[in-house]
Amino acid sequence: MSTASSILLVGLGGAGCSMVTRIAPQLPGEVAVALIDTDARSLNTAPNTSLLQIGRAQTRGMGTGGEAALGLASAESEEAALRRLFTGVPLVVLVTGLGGGTGSGGAAAVAGIAAEMGATTLAFATMPFSHEGERRMRQANEATITLAQKCHGFVVVHNDLLLQQVASDAPLSESFAAADTWVGGAIRGIASAFAPGALIAADPSALRSILANPGSPTLCAYGVGEGEGAAMKAARAACECPLAHGPGAVTKVASLFVYVAGGPALTTTEAFEAVAAVRTRFGGETSTILCARIDPTLGARIEVSVIGASLPAPKSPVKAKKGAKEADPSQPVFEFATEESMRRGLFGGTPMTFIDGQDVDVPAYIRKAVRLPSAP
Amino acid sequence: MTPKPLPSLIAVIDIGTHKTVSLLGQVIDGKARMLSFSERRTDGVVKGTVTDLEKLSQCVHEVVNDIERGSNRAVEQVYLSLSGPAAEGERVKGIIAVPAHDGKVTAKDVADAVSSAKRLEPPAGRATLLYMRQPTILDGRAVSNPVGMAGRRLEVSFWRVTMEEGNMRMRVGMVNGMSIRVRDFILASHAAACATAGEADKQGGVLVIDIGAGTTDWILYYKEHILCAGSIPVGGEHMTNDLSVALRISRETAEDLKVRFGSAVHRDADVNQTIWKDGDKGVGDQQFNRGTITKVISLRYQETLEFVRKDVLRHLEHIFPGHAVKIDQQMLPSGVILTGGSANLADAPEAVQVVLGLPARVGIPSFENESLRKPEYAGVVGLMAAAIIDAPPVVRRPRGFIAVLKDLFRF
Repeated sequence: MSTASSILLVGLGGAGCSMVTRIAPQLPGEVAVALIDTDARSLNTAPNTSLLQIGRAQTRGMGTGGEAALGLASAESEEAALRRLFTGVPLVVLVTGLGGGTGSGGAAAVAGIAAEMGATTLAFATMPFSHEGERRMRQANEATITLAQKCHGFVVVHNDLLLQQVASDAPLSESFAAADTWVGGAIRGIASAFAPGALIAADPSALRSILANPGSPTLCAYGVGEGEGAAMKAARAACECPLAHGPGAVTKVASLFVYVAGGPALTTTEAFEAVAAVRTRFGGETSTILCARIDPTLGARIEVSVIGASLPAPKSPVKAKKGAKEADPSQPVFEFATEESMRRGLFGGTPMTFIDGQDVDVPAYIRKAVRLPSAP
Repeated sequence: MTPKPLPSLIAVIDIGTHKTVSLLGQVIDGKARMLSFSERRTDGVVKGTVTDLEKLSQCVHEVVNDIERGSNRAVEQVYLSLSGPAAEGERVKGIIAVPAHDGKVTAKDVADAVSSAKRLEPPAGRATLLYMRQPTILDGRAVSNPVGMAGRRLEVSFWRVTMEEGNMRMRVGMVNGMSIRVRDFILASHAAACATAGEADKQGGVLVIDIGAGTTDWILYYKEHILCAGSIPVGGEHMTNDLSVALRISRETAEDLKVRFGSAVHRDADVNQTIWKDGDKGVGDQQFNRGTITKVISLRYQETLEFVRKDVLRHLEHIFPGHAVKIDQQMLPSGVILTGGSANLADAPEAVQVVLGLPARVGIPSFENESLRKPEYAGVVGLMAAAIIDAPPVVRRPRGFIAVLKDLFRF
């Protein structure tokens, strides 16, 4: 069904589906959209998308009620349908919210099937708010470990951090809209780069060369600039994008994918200035894949999207000795052990301490979503 | 010549998350004279919980060596402080109907009530460490000594501190490994109160909050007695951590900036101040917005005090069920006394006023030695004071009738 599209955007679970539904209208027409959930209600609302209800037998269309085991069983039971969905798609972008049942349980299974079908898999996972309590946070932390192993690229979106970016008196919808802008912008950047008509084009296999190794932390950033020096403004905004500043986010990467889009007025100098600024901030010494596009609808605005990954040196395959134990799949990936620990800073690795359902080792300003005064 | 111990010697060790402090004193006329003092960086304790016993033993061993060498006296027994989540407190109550015809309370009635209170078993796997006497209630009135008074219903209650058995054995074993006996455990918050709160404070009512590196311990005195005590697993290290996460700086830099520029209250005027890390504007010097520092630290500081407020209220509601309890100056005329290293933070008393609505002061321990007159030493100085005042008996003393009677006369 989606053989014509090079990108399939998948929303998984309640949070994933609603985010995909919100950002889908901003995407170019080449992107196919699919929603996967156990809860029949969240699927009925979406137009122009392929819908897949999983776990009918397990949940009877009621959602998982936060049970990750139920989410996993639901995803596994629909393996055939998922395989059909991912057939012939070179790039799958999976958006899910961790902490609940369908996302935490099903994400790794869905990503695993997509990867098996030969797709490059990039996952965006939102972490629950600190206020959502111990159980959801634990479930989410466990899910990041399994999900990271199955995806080529894995970006963590901390809900707590997103709240900090808007003024404290802003309506709730605004903070979610902010999250949508960043994730949507990054996805739009990737999608537009592969669409026909790009000035400097790339294809999904180029992205794959960056995101080759599952389990390696992925950098993702998005920025917009307007007016005088728009390119530099966009580059600076991308450098300060909260997606790239979450605790545990990668700060310097070996390989970068930079996409610059602007109106007809975008000059070569501007475009390369922006790329240079992004490279100064994020690295990209090994390889930087550059894409640019003139999009008349943008007018005076310029957008910059960045995807990057540090490729760990590929290990030479070690021949397993006869009778040797197989690697324990439950062993966590080392990089992601620090993901959670960096959020907790010096207390990383120590047992979590909960008061009123909040992990108090996480800085108070993050949990209270207070915006800090900017640096001088 | 081998150094000889003296019966009037008291050695105390305060094991904190950040530092381990030990003090050896000689008691003369009920007052302690300092013989030697030692302070070392603690290893193997995180958030008040022992994570590496070997490192901690080494550290305790070193401070004991220090005070022995410093005084040229052998230490035979020590008092250990008890803080953090390991120690849990609860109220135990014993109620009897006064049996005499004339309704007069006898010493035996009091002993019966006491033993019925102490008969309540601690939760499985926990050992009782301390009983702290609370007011005796006769027919709903608080009395200091009910013997000889007439009444029908006699109620005695204690604040009982328990500790996980394995944890207690570990601490005792660690000290025993140096051929030293643990004379007793003393609640750290009680110690801090002994060093900083006067008799008048305790008689009126006072809340002592000891903000250490890894834990915040509090104790509430009401009408002379300990009403309740508790601990929050948050302390000064959390403020340092928040700052190091927010500014992406090392722990050492964050600690330094916290001490120099941190404040428990954030003011709008801080936002426009630019401060330098080293101040020499040389290579490697960084500039920060002071507003960020005070914002991050004040949020954590006030949140910690808020946790204390909630914890106190939770305990009070448990003690006075059905009453609308509130923490105000009528209940605590002496307000709040802040001790521990984080009491030094600028504007700390103001933050207490904001969060708890009570006047606060920084508790300076009263001690002859000037170098120990700092809030961070309230714990160790208080241990010495508490050891003299209470002269508490040995841990796991025989629990016979005689012992119970002895207990009675001690309070």
